[in-house]
Amino acid sequence: MITIWMHRRRILSLTLFLVLALIISLTTPSLIAGNKETIHIRGSGSTFLQLQLMAWITIFHKVRPSITIEYNGVGSGAGQQQFFEHLTDFCGSDPPLSHKTWLEHKGRILQLPIVLGAVAVVYNIPELKSHRLRLDGKVLSMIYLGEIIYWDNYYIKRLNPGISNLLPHAKIIVVHRSDSSGTTEIFTYYLHRSSDGLWPKRLVGKDIEWPVDRTGRGLGGKGNAGVVSIVKNTPYSIGYVELSYALRYGLDVALLRNRAGYYIEPNTTTIIAAGENAARTGLLPISPTGDFSKELEAIVYSPGRLSYPITCFTHIIIWAKYPPHKAEAIRDFLSWIISSGDKHILPGYAPLPGPVKGIIIRAIELMKSGG
Amino acid sequence: MKEDRLFFLALLPFGAIVVAVFIVFVSTLLYNSLPIFIHEGLMVYTSSTWRPVENNPEAEVYGLLAPMIGTLEVSFLAIIISLPPGLSLAIMIEEYLPTGLKSLMETIIEVMAGLPTVLYGMWASLFFADYLKSDLMIPLHEILWFIPIFGCMPESPYTVFTAGVILGIMIMPYMVGLILDGIRQIPKKIREACYSLGMTKYETVRILLRLMRPVIIASVLLSLGRAAGETIAVSLTIGNTYNIPECLFTPGYTISSLIADQFGNSGFYVYMASALYAGGLFLLLLGVITSSTGLYLMRRWKTSV
Repeated sequence: MITIWMHRRRILSLTLFLVLALIISLTTPSLIAGNKETIHIRGSGSTFLQLQLMAWITIFHKVRPSITIEYNGVGSGAGQQQFFEHLTDFCGSDPPLSHKTWLEHKGRILQLPIVLGAVAVVYNIPELKSHRLRLDGKVLSMIYLGEIIYWDNYYIKRLNPGISNLLPHAKIIVVHRSDSSGTTEIFTYYLHRSSDGLWPKRLVGKDIEWPVDRTGRGLGGKGNAGVVSIVKNTPYSIGYVELSYALRYGLDVALLRNRAGYYIEPNTTTIIAAGENAARTGLLPISPTGDFSKELEAIVYSPGRLSYPITCFTHIIIWAKYPPHKAEAIRDFLSWIISSGDKHILPGYAPLPGPVKGIIIRAIELMKSGG
Repeated sequence: MKEDRLFFLALLPFGAIVVAVFIVFVSTLLYNSLPIFIHEGLMVYTSSTWRPVENNPEAEVYGLLAPMIGTLEVSFLAIIISLPPGLSLAIMIEEYLPTGLKSLMETIIEVMAGLPTVLYGMWASLFFADYLKSDLMIPLHEILWFIPIFGCMPESPYTVFTAGVILGIMIMPYMVGLILDGIRQIPKKIREACYSLGMTKYETVRILLRLMRPVIIASVLLSLGRAAGETIAVSLTIGNTYNIPECLFTPGYTISSLIADQFGNSGFYVYMASALYAGGLFLLLLGVITSSTGLYLMRRWKTSV
């Protein structure tokens, strides 16, 4: 009895082994054959860039199946870290490199503005229904400083004469990011520039001590998604998120007063207008090897009648030199973005203005000549 | 003999791996938190300023006092909320329910204890928090406004109190499990002796409870350790703002939700990651203290009955 049972077991394990061997032998050739041709590019960073980049990567992969590009949205900070530790081939970053980091790696890295985006101020006031709220830098500063407490405050009413009787006597719940983020930096930079000093310089940064938190009316959310979820679920709240998130989740978006004094809604036209005006300021470098650390100064609260005031570039950062096959793949991808990328821009993003596209073209040339 | 020796040798690596991982883990935490201790000393545990500054490491200041207090507040609140119903539930299951219902209840408790915590967090942040604010927090404030911890009006549904209640609900099944284990350790003869003296069920339970006091304390400690480390559910409900919550109805922070929020982008700053590791060290210490005291009490009690 026992011998038969053991015999059976042996047969069973033998069959199992054969099946496994068959599976492995069938799958490996295709893997090996695939590997020979495929070039694999890895990137990580900005979560804001992620949606747009993934869309581009998917379409590009159909055009050039031999190049696979992988991107992880880990945040701009972590992305930069992984890139400089050579864990990835490129990183996506909302803010450009700081002046100090740029100096450290000067000449060896290329920074490319890749697409335009905007930070939208979103709110949840059920009484307003489809009426749009208008805000300016000063009032927003007072809200985030905790000085304006109720929605029917005099200053808010003054900016919204048409709907002043609809504004409720409800306390404002002020939502901000709880992780350090480029979005916060751009938003606080806008507050600083547009509020005549009401919002101090020391409160500009990726992660700051929010004065409103001391009043108990401040709330923090992790990532754009965290802020969206709090604003959506909390009546009488206000927050700031990347425009693409505001659109996707159907939040009410405020009109903001720009430098020229007009109340502007963030959309493709107004974002591109801000980008074009930024290019005219002369604060942007023309070469990808240049220092982009003054970029915010150029694009946030930029001049022009149509410019949306909280507009920003988001970037791809690459090395000037790669092994030949990788360099070629990256060049191909960048050339494709220049030629066909604009046709596949997602809602909430906007294509680069012509002069800024020149930076990418220069980068491709620099990579061809071997850095 | 020889076989036994071989068997032991074969098992040895697995035990060694666990110990090695623990040692590596602790030394990583210590090593990585070293820079912040050199930078600002023990201020990291005694101040509550959180000021990351880019490109100027000297100006960076990280104090973890606010989230440390937040962690303790939330955990104690969770214990206070979960102990009375947890204890009652354990007694009911053990003393009153018929066998079929008993196993059903135990299955439900097991399932609840095993649910991913993000589910509790989602449920709480999307539905439960609103009701908690309007039906419990506001009434509590209106009646007990003179007690400082209830002294402020809840402005939003995301507060220290909300996180504490959610944690309480989450750790209750765990606590019930521990207490049930304890009840079952009590020798049958004690119960039989009680009944043979003509005691009622109520009187018997009172005697059992007195016997079980160390187990209850141990269960509380173990649950406390668990509550202190919980991340996602707390992060979704506590409001994530950096202030020392003097009143339970304001938003706050815990160490674990601070780490979850900040770790990803800490690379922008020189000392932030290190400060977060120091926070991790605090959690580790808290865990070691609660778990080891809890387990010690539990063991001592088991040998005594």
